[in-house]
Amino acid sequence: MNQSIADFGMDTISLGGGLDVKLKAIREAGFSQVMLSARDLVQHHGGVDEAIAIVRDSGLRPTGFQVLRDFEGLSGHLHDYKVDVAKSMMEMCAALGCKVMLACSSTSQHATQDKELLVKDLRKLAMLAVPLGIKVAYEGLSWGRTINEYNTAWELVERADCPNLGLGVDSFHIFATNTSLEMLDEVDASKIFLVQLADFMWNEVRTNEERITTARHFRVFPGEGVHSQQLAELVLKLDQMGYTGDYSFEVFNDDYQAMPPALVARRAHRSATWLADEVLQRATPLPSQMRLKAR
Amino acid sequence: MSSPERLQSVRENLGAASNPLGMNGIEFIEFSTAKPQALGQVLEQMGFRPVARHRSREVLLYRQGEMNVIINAHPRGRTALGGHKDVPQIAAIALRVRDAAEAYQRALDRGAWPIESVVQPMELHIPSIHGVGHSRIFFVDRYKEFSIYDVDFVPIPSVDQKPEPLCGFQFFGIVQYIGAERLADWTEFYSQLFGFESVPDEQRFGIMPKGRVLRSPCGSFFLQLIEPEPDAWDVDNEECLQRMALSAPDVLGAVKQLQERGIGFTETAVVHSEHRGALTNTYLGGVSFELVHRDA
Repeated sequence: MNQSIADFGMDTISLGGGLDVKLKAIREAGFSQVMLSARDLVQHHGGVDEAIAIVRDSGLRPTGFQVLRDFEGLSGHLHDYKVDVAKSMMEMCAALGCKVMLACSSTSQHATQDKELLVKDLRKLAMLAVPLGIKVAYEGLSWGRTINEYNTAWELVERADCPNLGLGVDSFHIFATNTSLEMLDEVDASKIFLVQLADFMWNEVRTNEERITTARHFRVFPGEGVHSQQLAELVLKLDQMGYTGDYSFEVFNDDYQAMPPALVARRAHRSATWLADEVLQRATPLPSQMRLKAR
Repeated sequence: MSSPERLQSVRENLGAASNPLGMNGIEFIEFSTAKPQALGQVLEQMGFRPVARHRSREVLLYRQGEMNVIINAHPRGRTALGGHKDVPQIAAIALRVRDAAEAYQRALDRGAWPIESVVQPMELHIPSIHGVGHSRIFFVDRYKEFSIYDVDFVPIPSVDQKPEPLCGFQFFGIVQYIGAERLADWTEFYSQLFGFESVPDEQRFGIMPKGRVLRSPCGSFFLQLIEPEPDAWDVDNEECLQRMALSAPDVLGAVKQLQERGIGFTETAVVHSEHRGALTNTYLGGVSFELVHRDA
């Protein structure tokens, strides 16, 4: 495997087929990690326990587990219901040996917009995750109701001030809302728990409806869309900030789900190589140079 | 007109926020084991006496002075613990609090995981939450006027129910092993749910200074969180309640008395018995006790 792409991983949602087929394609394309979703386990024909065993035996490290939606800001029975959903996800996440769970900002009209209460719920979510050894990455969804940009998501994370609550950064949402990368200067790189990368084919997505449709059906791998330059700037910026965590390709694409998984995984690998070699300019030492160094 | 309590709290700062649960020490520490007699023997060597049996389960209560230790050999408890089934494990800590129901609800509101307890008719329902690993944390508020043991346990006939402590022993704390880079997580857990606070790094007790020490809001109980050595991060990341620490006014005198009762102590260049503290040998594959000096 090319070590220079060791911190890049694919997401199962980009591929068609069953869990075992997806993991095989990802591994054989040259990746060492995979972002998993609850559906990968629950919809596996052999059941959740078998799915967990397949992932553990695959040799791929789980990048993270996704995605808890619409958690913060609810009250009464809606809140209790979401706590149960969160706990169920955390139990699967822990069983996979996965250290990061992704939670995205609420889109619910039933949720309060009072930031104090949103912070309180995020604190509770983080505390639920402590005994299981899980970190929660909170991401601003570009169509989130109250929180829809990374800077406001960071504001809540900072206010919650929990060691295992951090920020999830997704390039798609940053580009969709045209959020400036400058505000990343305010973010503590050690509190970015996950970075998800994807591009898309349109120059602009103005309405929430457009964003949702594009996000769920028309994303492409980094370097395949029209925001390559911005994406390169984002990755370089994160690298310069001192981010040393994982990059996962969060690419929802209907066409890719209808193509052979091995072919899609090769496209993802080409993307990872572009980022590692051309954008981040990680030079892989040639074998002869390594020998010279060893002497 | 204000109640006397309300009047007092308005007149003076009682520091209620720093002890949100009204915590007041430890009611009991529980071990889980498939070999209750072997563990009981070690506890007896440490000065504990068996005083009562549970009404419906294979559970024994040991006591010395103010300390209660429970040995739970009930199969369900052991299955739930998982891990090393043959090695006795510290399975629970019970905190004495002002109001158990209130403390339990407060913990749940802040993100604790509740544990559904299985109680037989006429037994007490003692609320508990998940702690580290497979352990649990109980909340007990009936420890003054009558005790929880009056209900669930039957005294062993002709046994002194209040045996004097050996060497003046009292509960001092628990050592908890944590995973790599988990110090901040567990500090937050004990702080947010119970009001524990970190003691300064220069303040240490006993002879085992590693990790971080947290003091209970009542000031009478300590938790010591210890991460794996950096070179063992990949192989040794288990989290558990590792050992119990007892305090005594005269540690070296206590070491001598315990040695006479058959307890051995770790005596190496790095770890050895001294005035500040001592560490027993490990028994039954994983049970050891730490002694810590307490000013008389």
